[in-house]
Amino acid sequence: MATTRRGRRIHPGVERMKAQLRSGSCDRREFLRTVTLLGVGASAAYAMAGRILGEKIVDPLQAAQDAGRRGGILRVSMPVPEIKDPATFDWTEKSNCVRHMIEYLTYTGPDNITRPYLAERWEASDDLTVWTFHLRRGVRWHNGDVFDAEDVIFNFTRWLDPKTGSSNQGLFAAMTEEYDTGERNADGSPEKGRRMRAGAIEKLDDFTVRLNLSRPVLSIPENLFNYPTAIVHRDFEKNGGDLLAWPMGTGPYTIADFAVGEKCILRRIDRPYWGETLEDPFIGGPIHLDEIHYYDHGAASAAQLAAFASGQVDMTFEVGKDSLQMAQSVPGAVLYEVTTAQTGVMRMQVDREPFDDPRVRRAIQLCCDASVYPELVYLGRGTVGEHHHVAPIHPEYFPLPAFEPDLEEAKRLLAEAGYPEGLELSIDVGNTNGPWQQQVCEIFREQLAPAGIRLDINVMPAPQYWEIWDKTPFGFTSWTHRPLGTMVLSLGYRCGVPWNETRYCNPAFDAALDAAESTLEVEERRRLMEKVQRILREDAVIVQPLWQPKFTVASEKVKGFRAHPTQYHLFHRVWIDA
Amino acid sequence: MLRLAARRFGAMILIMAVVSFILFLIFETDKLAVAGKVLGPYSSLEQRELWLEREGYNRPFLVRYGEWVTDALRGDFGESIRFKAPVADLLWPRLANSAILAGLVFLLMIPLSLLLGVLAGMREGSLLDRGLSFLSILTTSVPEFASAAFLVALFVFELRWLPGTSAMTGGFDWSQLVLPVAVLVLYDFGYVARMTRASMAEVMTSHYIRTAILKGLPRHRVVLRHALRNALIAPFTVIVLQLNWLLSGVIVVEVFFAYKGFGALLYDAAMFGDIYLIEACTMVAVFVAVFSQFVSDVGYTLLNPRIRFAGSTVR
Repeated sequence: MATTRRGRRIHPGVERMKAQLRSGSCDRREFLRTVTLLGVGASAAYAMAGRILGEKIVDPLQAAQDAGRRGGILRVSMPVPEIKDPATFDWTEKSNCVRHMIEYLTYTGPDNITRPYLAERWEASDDLTVWTFHLRRGVRWHNGDVFDAEDVIFNFTRWLDPKTGSSNQGLFAAMTEEYDTGERNADGSPEKGRRMRAGAIEKLDDFTVRLNLSRPVLSIPENLFNYPTAIVHRDFEKNGGDLLAWPMGTGPYTIADFAVGEKCILRRIDRPYWGETLEDPFIGGPIHLDEIHYYDHGAASAAQLAAFASGQVDMTFEVGKDSLQMAQSVPGAVLYEVTTAQTGVMRMQVDREPFDDPRVRRAIQLCCDASVYPELVYLGRGTVGEHHHVAPIHPEYFPLPAFEPDLEEAKRLLAEAGYPEGLELSIDVGNTNGPWQQQVCEIFREQLAPAGIRLDINVMPAPQYWEIWDKTPFGFTSWTHRPLGTMVLSLGYRCGVPWNETRYCNPAFDAALDAAESTLEVEERRRLMEKVQRILREDAVIVQPLWQPKFTVASEKVKGFRAHPTQYHLFHRVWIDA
Repeated sequence: MLRLAARRFGAMILIMAVVSFILFLIFETDKLAVAGKVLGPYSSLEQRELWLEREGYNRPFLVRYGEWVTDALRGDFGESIRFKAPVADLLWPRLANSAILAGLVFLLMIPLSLLLGVLAGMREGSLLDRGLSFLSILTTSVPEFASAAFLVALFVFELRWLPGTSAMTGGFDWSQLVLPVAVLVLYDFGYVARMTRASMAEVMTSHYIRTAILKGLPRHRVVLRHALRNALIAPFTVIVLQLNWLLSGVIVVEVFFAYKGFGALLYDAAMFGDIYLIEACTMVAVFVAVFSQFVSDVGYTLLNPRIRFAGSTVR
């Protein structure tokens, strides 16, 4: 068995990945991502890649370190929603409000590399079904309690309890089992739910926990940085289950003042932060900022930008594509653009008429000429969607043959499904992350018309859309970036998971996804993803026009900031150059 | 007069009672939906039913309505679902913020529009009159969101003179009120000025003014002592009714500038389906609407000696 110099076991997959990098069957990015998931430290992984490729490759984040200056307040314009329970967070903004107070077991940097956070390291069994997490010692909660395995077990148990209603259920489906809820569905059949399997998590000692999966999953460390997986104190529920009422974290800041819709003020804790002695490019080293202020100027990026332009804030959460030129015109503004796997899908509920007929769904999909959307909607930025929710920037992406729109076939399918004269449809759009969604629907309406499909666009306020996002038969839902395509597929398309908004359930798809998630070899996984992507596209549950680019703007005096494709904020290394 | 006031007051109470009942009927008939709103979309049926029982929702509708009215009269509107705070704690500071905005708008708009309206009305057809008509039609016909965007582009992005939002995040700051007040004054002054101008022009052509002029009274005395009082009756009504607009009609401006006023609160409540907050905001808005109507009616009667009512007329 291969071991490190400290005698720790090295996953056999690391050697296989090295061989793949040598042979050229995987690229450097994929190598780095996979070996770090298998427990190799990021710096070591970069060094390994350098040795194999004969280049001097250093961790870019490590290289970007600068001294920084202590003190100052970073003011950010961002919507401030309620933040009661991190397990049920459904907006990135919610997690940003508390990201510097409560922390995650791992984190994925902007370079797509997953690094240790509250977990010091991890190991996976050869078959990727047993994951052992070694927790960092010396981490304390703000009340002085020691962070340990009990906290982690409490969080997993809570996430996977159906009563919590956490989307984490989909991510950790391999730790759950199906059960009879005792209630009946509308058709009289017994209602099934999912809950944690007995023995899915075990405590090996105070600082070691083990996850026992029912099937192999490679992305467990990445899943642990998905925004609802922040670790709360083991007494969270005993203290009311409300983070605001009991703001208890392990991070460098705590909430000093908070008002929904107005502000979230974070102040540095008055005790040493455990991460200050850590060697890590993103979360290690001295904390610079005294305070982080989030101010709510509304979701509209125009107001955020106006606040930035007049120096009321140092940074905005987002800049809309229509405001890019205006943002750049502000003296001292630095515009950050990041390629993401953020998208929006026009998704159909497969158990609701007329979408319960696959021919209708397929016909709708066949009307979509996705090639026009990046140009028309994002002025040439963005990437064409392919109706399977796996992005070209995802490491496991398999390039399927380009999707060809076919109006004649669409008409034929509609006629066969009993709609020879076409049909009337209504789509709900909430413009939940900008008016581009409505613009997409308007273009799609024109593309549907020649096939005899008349699309009525029902525009509603964003919060109202989030009320019905998983209930409406036909709606436009935005999905944030995740480092792996399989993460989104597990969250949104597996049978019976909480965020399955289409009610799609195809055991063949689930099985193909299981197989892909459990495969270490890059080429093999990519080959398996072909099936996953193909099934989802052919089952036609979504029409996916494009992948969005994301923009944010910050003052030039904000140093050390790196835009993250998920729009997650990590300000540990950020400082203000006064 | 007192009878008129009492009658108008009675009508005001009746309107509020009817609106409150309709409001309660719309929002609180579907008890499970209320529980779903409060407990969140992932709450189970069992959790919702337990909550309904605990909160007394299983009592008859009219009993619940009666209790809601009693609580509302005491200023207790329940807890906001979105803001997780008592509605009353949110309502009063937001009303105060809107009152500051409205007060400043009134302070600038009333003297400006009355002065311009009177001057234009005094000389109908003059250059000033035509100029004012053109300007007021222009400013009134430009919607607030357009003038707000224009002023922000000019004063925030181009000249960099003024703050772009009015959230008062660092404490109260007068400079943050400049743009929202400017937008509202621009939008509204033309309307009041035109009403004043029309009223003044009408008065200036009346017989008693002509008599006063022919009597040889100086023009300024004619205007100030004889024309102005009558000419201001119509604008008075219009101005009082603007109070209602400045409370709940300025949503666009408050949202645009992120000003934490009553309009923005109403907008948030509606967007998030915050039932208790919508109920409270609606009742406040209705109260201000009917109360300003009441003040307008009574005030108009007091100011205008030609209006007398059957009961008090001496034949």
